[in-house]
Amino acid sequence: MGKAGGRITNDIRTMRARHGDMTQQELADRVGVTRQTVNAMEANKYSPSLEVAFRVARVFGVPLERVFRYEV
Amino acid sequence: MNLTFHEKNLWLLLVALGTAFGWYFVRVLPPQGPDVMPHQIALFVLVTGVLVVAEVLGIIAIAIVDRRAERDERDRLIELKGTRNGAYVLATGVFAALCTALATTGNFAFTHVLLASWLLAQLVEIVSQLAMYRRGA
Repeated sequence: MGKAGGRITNDIRTMRARHGDMTQQELADRVGVTRQTVNAMEANKYSPSLEVAFRVARVFGVPLERVFRYEV
Repeated sequence: MNLTFHEKNLWLLLVALGTAFGWYFVRVLPPQGPDVMPHQIALFVLVTGVLVVAEVLGIIAIAIVDRRAERDERDRLIELKGTRNGAYVLATGVFAALCTALATTGNFAFTHVLLASWLLAQLVEIVSQLAMYRRGA
């Protein structure tokens, strides 16, 4: 969660659906995190590190900003 | 509830610590004298031994059931935050133990304030980690 009033949101759930209904576990395995972390990211309860965010975007083959947004 | 390997370990540790040292404190309190008695030391060693064995067996059992034992950045962040929360309690407890040592005779009160502080710090660390797993970190 953001500390200056903003927060990071994402479209991971939508992107998974667009990629053949990829499961959270499949995404987690490809990114190198636990399924629970993917679940927490999708629920906007956890903001991943930049490295993990880039890895998520790479799995979906899109730029980082297509998956993650900073909302004030 | 869908728990990670580390959450299961934390629940195991919480139950084991609370049970073992809860039983220990019930047995040694109220104090029977100003100093720690030999049978109380034996009880402490027994409780610690049982705790270690229970923890090892529990982790083995959890690992057999849940083979996904990997840790990721969220696990490490939660562990760091939990450790920080526990450290505040432990530091306060050490100060309280020092004050107790100055204010009382014998070693019973000092050692048990110190032990209780360590136990409370552990419980705060574990509970805060479990809370962060549930509500996000």
